[in-house]
Amino acid sequence: MNSTEICYLSARPLGQLIQRKEVSPVEVIAAHLSRIESLEPKLNSFITLLPDQAMAAARQAEKEIREGRYRGPLHGIPLGLKDLYYTEGIRTTSGSKIFDAFVPNFDSTVAAKLKEAGALLIGKLNMHPLAYGPTGENGEYGDMHNPWNPALIAGGSSGGCGSAAASGECTLTMGSDTGGSIRIPSALCGLVGFKPTYGRLSRNGLTPLAWSQDHVGPIVRTVEDCALVMNAVAGYDPSDPTSINLPVPDYTRSLTGEIRGVRVGVPKEYFDVLIDSEVKESVLKAIDRLGELGAVISEVSWPMYRYCTAISSAIQMGEATAYHSHLIRTHGSGIYPPVRLRLEAGFFVSASDYVQAQRARSLFYRESLDLLKKVDLLAGPTVPVTAFEIGRTRVNVGNKTAGAIGLLTQYTRPFNLNGFPAITVPCGFSDAGLPIGLQLAGRPLEEETVLRTADAYERSTDWHHRRPPV
Amino acid sequence: MEDPFMAETFWLSKEAFLKIAEVSGLDTTDRHMEELYSFVQQMLPGLKDVEELDLTGMEPFMPPLSAKGGSK
Repeated sequence: MNSTEICYLSARPLGQLIQRKEVSPVEVIAAHLSRIESLEPKLNSFITLLPDQAMAAARQAEKEIREGRYRGPLHGIPLGLKDLYYTEGIRTTSGSKIFDAFVPNFDSTVAAKLKEAGALLIGKLNMHPLAYGPTGENGEYGDMHNPWNPALIAGGSSGGCGSAAASGECTLTMGSDTGGSIRIPSALCGLVGFKPTYGRLSRNGLTPLAWSQDHVGPIVRTVEDCALVMNAVAGYDPSDPTSINLPVPDYTRSLTGEIRGVRVGVPKEYFDVLIDSEVKESVLKAIDRLGELGAVISEVSWPMYRYCTAISSAIQMGEATAYHSHLIRTHGSGIYPPVRLRLEAGFFVSASDYVQAQRARSLFYRESLDLLKKVDLLAGPTVPVTAFEIGRTRVNVGNKTAGAIGLLTQYTRPFNLNGFPAITVPCGFSDAGLPIGLQLAGRPLEEETVLRTADAYERSTDWHHRRPPV
Repeated sequence: MEDPFMAETFWLSKEAFLKIAEVSGLDTTDRHMEELYSFVQQMLPGLKDVEELDLTGMEPFMPPLSAKGGSK
């Protein structure tokens, strides 16, 4: 097996090779470091690369496995963390030069759990500064580039996760998602991105953007890898006041390939907003495929969908500005200008605006629960367009244009507001060869239904086998 | 739906804008205040869509599953 093949294996088969001692973790890390060295000038996925540390950890993993101390399916698997996960002794910039020298003295809960599971941290991944933007542009550490066409955005804010996982620089990556920041880069880079139920994964040790909408989750190449990561990181954490204290299932057991009878609703409001015709066609074909696999497809109505951007924006702006208020006042001119603008604008959201938005959120939550009594899942596009040129603030959709931020987040924000689990899986490519994502969302804590359906769809297609030209 | 990031409605006077900026601790002499004023003018009206909703009986949202021992 050559090094490129190693870099494109998903975690399950790679872990099996490692367990059987047919491939060494040292060999795996060496292959990835070599690939990173060759691709980074084009992609800029990493802020901090950890070659010596990763290689030392790989030697340790090799020793443990040789001595019969195999930890499980993530042992020896390369991992990249978005650079807002605190990592003990390793700088954590949150994508901003202001924190260029910040070195946490503890691991975030998720980082610690992945370390315990034997995953090998290979580096800290680039991101939109302070996670406040969906394009993956960063004027300080450099923009992230889409492996399918490096002139285009990787999406954000977890753009480094998207470019690294899609290009074979990392097997596993972990992102965060406040308005779509896991699912957007996943869709634009042809990956699987999963935002579990709010509270299922601990937020302890992650730089917040907006506490009540921040989620943690994997950006990987297959649904099975999502399930493997979930098994390692899900669960109650007393350090996170919003953590859910309920038993965690074995998520891989839900991947049966069987979705007969699963009721899938397609909100008609999804197609009342701007959407690229190629994206729409691919998503509708994917939904038809779910029907062919035995799911029961129906159109549903989600009247409050049209209010999601207003509700989530008021909450996000209020919380982000509150969290960063000291930074804004003391280091305002040092903040990446587009992010500074959004942060400072948050001072103009009144307390009344914020509370009214939270009241509207309660109404939206109730409506979402009612909707998901009629169906088991909601299906639709993840992002209404394919990746576009870096630097664009307005995007053409048919004969209209729209602001990039609102457009990129129009399908993802609802599930940050209600906290329901949502996944994106590749469901096609545009004529220009750019990936398109299908989003599936389920009831709170019903991750298994979401993963099972996404996996069944993935098994029936070959989109996830395609490799970017980079 | 109108894009809240590019709405055209102007609603905040320059004087009120500067006052809020000042009490928020921003440097109102900073050259980028004009850009911020324009951005605020464009963005904030979109947030007012919430006012169309009947929120009678609604309390602010609390994550329903997150309490210790929270149940489904």
